[in-house]
Amino acid sequence: MPLIKRNWTSDEADEWTKEDWYAIIISPFSYVLITLGLAMSLFLLPLGFILLGIGIVLTFIMFYIIDPKLKSVSEGYEKKQREYLKNLEKIQRWEE
Amino acid sequence: MVHFAWLDYFWTIAYLILMIGCGAIFYKLGKRSGSDFFLAGRGLPWWLPATSNFATHTATDTPMWFSGLVYQKGLYGMWYSLFAGWCAISAWVSTRIFRRSLAGTQAEWQTLRFSGLGSEMLRGWIAGWQVAMTMFIAGWVGIAMGNVCNYVFHWPLWYGLVIFSTLCCLYVIASGYWGVIIADVQQGITMLIVIVLVSIWAAIAAGGPAEIVASLKQMGQEEMLNPFRSSGFISGDYPLLWMITMIAVPFLGGFGMATHFDWFVEAQRIQSARNVRDASYSIWWGTAVVLVRNSIWALAVLALFVISKGNFTAEESQLAWFIIGFKYFPVGMVGFFFAAILAIHISTVAGVLNLGSMYATRDLYHHYLKPKATEKEVVWFGRLMTVVVLLGSFFFGLMIGKNVIDWLFFALWLMVAGTWLPNILQVIWWRFNAWGYLSAWIANLGICWLVVWILPAFGIIPELPDYQQFWLLIILVAVIYVPVTLLTKPDDMDRLVKLYVQTRPIGFWGPVKREAERRGLLKALHEFDRKAAEQDQ
Repeated sequence: MPLIKRNWTSDEADEWTKEDWYAIIISPFSYVLITLGLAMSLFLLPLGFILLGIGIVLTFIMFYIIDPKLKSVSEGYEKKQREYLKNLEKIQRWEE
Repeated sequence: MVHFAWLDYFWTIAYLILMIGCGAIFYKLGKRSGSDFFLAGRGLPWWLPATSNFATHTATDTPMWFSGLVYQKGLYGMWYSLFAGWCAISAWVSTRIFRRSLAGTQAEWQTLRFSGLGSEMLRGWIAGWQVAMTMFIAGWVGIAMGNVCNYVFHWPLWYGLVIFSTLCCLYVIASGYWGVIIADVQQGITMLIVIVLVSIWAAIAAGGPAEIVASLKQMGQEEMLNPFRSSGFISGDYPLLWMITMIAVPFLGGFGMATHFDWFVEAQRIQSARNVRDASYSIWWGTAVVLVRNSIWALAVLALFVISKGNFTAEESQLAWFIIGFKYFPVGMVGFFFAAILAIHISTVAGVLNLGSMYATRDLYHHYLKPKATEKEVVWFGRLMTVVVLLGSFFFGLMIGKNVIDWLFFALWLMVAGTWLPNILQVIWWRFNAWGYLSAWIANLGICWLVVWILPAFGIIPELPDYQQFWLLIILVAVIYVPVTLLTKPDDMDRLVKLYVQTRPIGFWGPVKREAERRGLLKALHEFDRKAAEQDQ
């Protein structure tokens, strides 16, 4: 089993898997490192450049991991969306 | 009073014409249907709602509280601005789940997530609450503009509140969310350019970044550049528990929905995106730009700290960013700066007016008062409610007056503190039911007043720092909603199964998943996907 799965079918992508958890864990670090790293870099502090660099690399890794899965979730879901919207309209108008 | 040359007036007037023009250009699209007026037809590429997120969350009050914090606490103050970090996890979890639910609003989600009378009561409650909150936000942002105009032109506070919010209302009425989103793009670009320019000007005025650092050292304020400073666990001006709260609350809140007021605004952007992936990206990147903006702002604020030798009062420090622009920009650029402030102001007010109108129209009028309303009636009621929210904002704005920051922490944080955990539980735990959630909302509303105002006033409890009030509220409200949840029946299994199959929530949904499998629903969906994939090939 690969560390990072990059080929998904729609029903596989619907399940919560380790790839989701990678993104969930990396994402807050990306935000914090980019925010503080950029602020400190603008004052030319060496630590700032290091934090910013790590933040950017983590962001690339996160999107590399999550993008194929999200694409698959999207494609699978959009095919069913029309029916779901009809159901939503029924609830809105008290027809269900 | 700030001097305006003819070129400054030109920038200001040109910008206002451009903004109102958006309303005229998108008038036809906005009036097509309720879905167009409130969600731009659910077909936007991710970068449009992302830009809108950034523009909406950059309001006139934002540089005020941010400047105040960074001027007083240095880069440590930036942790406060990380409340936007809830999008880090939300983009991959609750955004995905909410987009799949297709609920137009957070109130509508209640009738999909819960069942029976409780769900309808929740929908009505949240819709009413949001109409009131959008009036409050528009008023609060509006009066911040009143304060800016008071500083620039010496106008009475209400001039700035009424004039610009009313102009903004014109294009929202005309074209609804279409006008909001397109105007947000040009407003977002304008404000980002000006934010960068102000920081460059400020840094030059202070002698450059290296000189700012050297000056801070000379002033004995080197720690202003250390975001990780600490004065003990709960003691001093830089307590560790405060920092932990600032990190844990937003990030973990991303698993839930409505854990922060901004969620309600983002919910509309999420549903306006053309698919699940675009919804997730719009939330992640919109907030990333917000955080980058804060970092750029910090340079300008600390530059002014050095220039002013740290002698500003708390009130003056809140105007730090505005002071730099008006004082250091050359003639002609001052008007461009003021146009950017208008962009900052109007983008937020526009988004909030349309959002409040959406709750009043879709959740109250269309669902409860006139379920058989035609699309034309829905759009016209939406326009009427836009005006009602505007008028309500004038009332709240005048009530707030000059106390812009005091209200921020209470209204947007403490008043929802006790619902923070229930907002997560509604997403991750199947057994959390409508009555538990409703009781949490009601209990929090009462208990937050007790903890923040009433009990300290009578000396029963000490006046606690806001982050300690937050944790206390979480515990006290849990004492109410946990027993209520466990002593009342779970929600209807049919409703839960339907929600599970459609949205695939994360967390503890085992019994619901097993029921969906027993009914053969997941297998049927897999079969559907397999056939669709074969057809695509």
